[in-house]
Amino acid sequence: MSRQFAHQELAALMKKCAGLTVDPAALAGSPEMTFTEFGLDSLGLLAIVGELENHYGTPIEPGAESCKTPNDFIDVINASITAGA
Amino acid sequence: MSVSRGAARARGAVVTGLGVIAPNGVGTDAFWKATREGISFLDRLTRPGSENFPVRVAGQIRGFDPATMIEERLLVQTDRFTHIALAAADLALEDSRLPVDDLSPFAVGVVTAAGSGGGEFGQRELQQLYGKGPRHVGPFQSIAWFYAASTGQVSIRGGFKGPCGVVADDEAGGLDALAHARRSIRHGADAIVAGATEAGLAPYSMVCQLGWRELSRAREAGRAYLPFTTDACGFVPGEGGAMFVVEEEGAARRRGVPIRGFISGYGATFTGASRWEESREGLARAIRVALDDAQCAPEEIDVVFADALGVPEADRAEALAIADALGPHGTRVPVTAPKTGFGRAHCAAPTLDVAAAVLAMEHRMVPPTPYVTDVCHELDLVTRSPRPAEPRCALVLSRGLMGYNAALVLRGPEGDM
Repeated sequence: MSRQFAHQELAALMKKCAGLTVDPAALAGSPEMTFTEFGLDSLGLLAIVGELENHYGTPIEPGAESCKTPNDFIDVINASITAGA
Repeated sequence: MSVSRGAARARGAVVTGLGVIAPNGVGTDAFWKATREGISFLDRLTRPGSENFPVRVAGQIRGFDPATMIEERLLVQTDRFTHIALAAADLALEDSRLPVDDLSPFAVGVVTAAGSGGGEFGQRELQQLYGKGPRHVGPFQSIAWFYAASTGQVSIRGGFKGPCGVVADDEAGGLDALAHARRSIRHGADAIVAGATEAGLAPYSMVCQLGWRELSRAREAGRAYLPFTTDACGFVPGEGGAMFVVEEEGAARRRGVPIRGFISGYGATFTGASRWEESREGLARAIRVALDDAQCAPEEIDVVFADALGVPEADRAEALAIADALGPHGTRVPVTAPKTGFGRAHCAAPTLDVAAAVLAMEHRMVPPTPYVTDVCHELDLVTRSPRPAEPRCALVLSRGLMGYNAALVLRGPEGDM
């Protein structure tokens, strides 16, 4: 099953919401790296959550904004938008 | 308070780096060249959305592309006034060659002053709020509009964990920030990145200012900002500012960098919002306190950088305050107000005067007061062209529309004799 929200989409939002240029392949290829290590702080992640809620018109489940790694975040987002669909 | 001498002498605060971003020049060299020649940079206010306000003339920075000086992350997350602060702080740090990596992060601090805050960023987010709803307001609004944003971002970016502060107290705040830096040096800091920047020309910030009767409504740049003349009709707003590296004198001497100036004396008073007649007494008192603090006789002042509000009663009060505090010397000392050429950038205005004062002492030249010709007060205002001189001690004055008065005594590299 293809996931609606993956590394490509996350990288685009990191650019749009927080001004960070990150290679989607780097996000996918380094599962241990944290958002902090990619340069994204908690406000940046909060901005991405807000953008996703507006885009999908559905609330994202609480806790998404405290995910530490891109993969954890992608799982939470996909669960939320699938449940909300 | 006076500085004790000899063995118990207080830790002196010296300027070792300048970073200037102003309507008349980005970078110290461009700023000084335009300031020295008195080239005028006032123009029709053209910031989008601000074109049709009753305030028509402003000093706008045109040659500054923040993307060339700071990373995209900070462009997205901060306001223009912080972009300018970050860029100016970088220029100052580069100029000072401060060996940041060799210093304890706790020995370096940051202090800025801000009067307008992040109005442009705030306006964008408020438009989202009433246009689309609260879910469309981004979280960076919480830190970008804030007066403390520039201190915080300069501190985070440089890793400066020493004493940090923000002075949110009106135009005179630019001088108060430098005094704050000096105090932190005296209390043990090695270096403070200090100054003020403003970006208050976007519509939201302009609307907040339109109620000020002191703001010039003139339609022509050449007639808009004429302090100390019978044609005075208010001041022209500007933007930008200067950041400095203020360093402990001994540390600066040990690493052998040129000392650009000594922050020798400071005084501040409060006389009430727009009560310009009373500002005479307040400003005179601030000057006396600053002179006493610097152990400086009135006759030692070689140049005065005037507040130059451009409101007749305020100009009269300033001319009288200079005479009250400096005595007969007050009518002989060269006085200048370069800001008539690029506008009065609120808290940042006196920081640009301090930068100009340092440069005037270095280049042995008092810059003129652009546009002004016939002075109607007992002042030796430098007009038309730069005046060769050997200023070794400068007095910088600033008053805020809300009633603050401040004076700073700056001595040249020859020192705190």
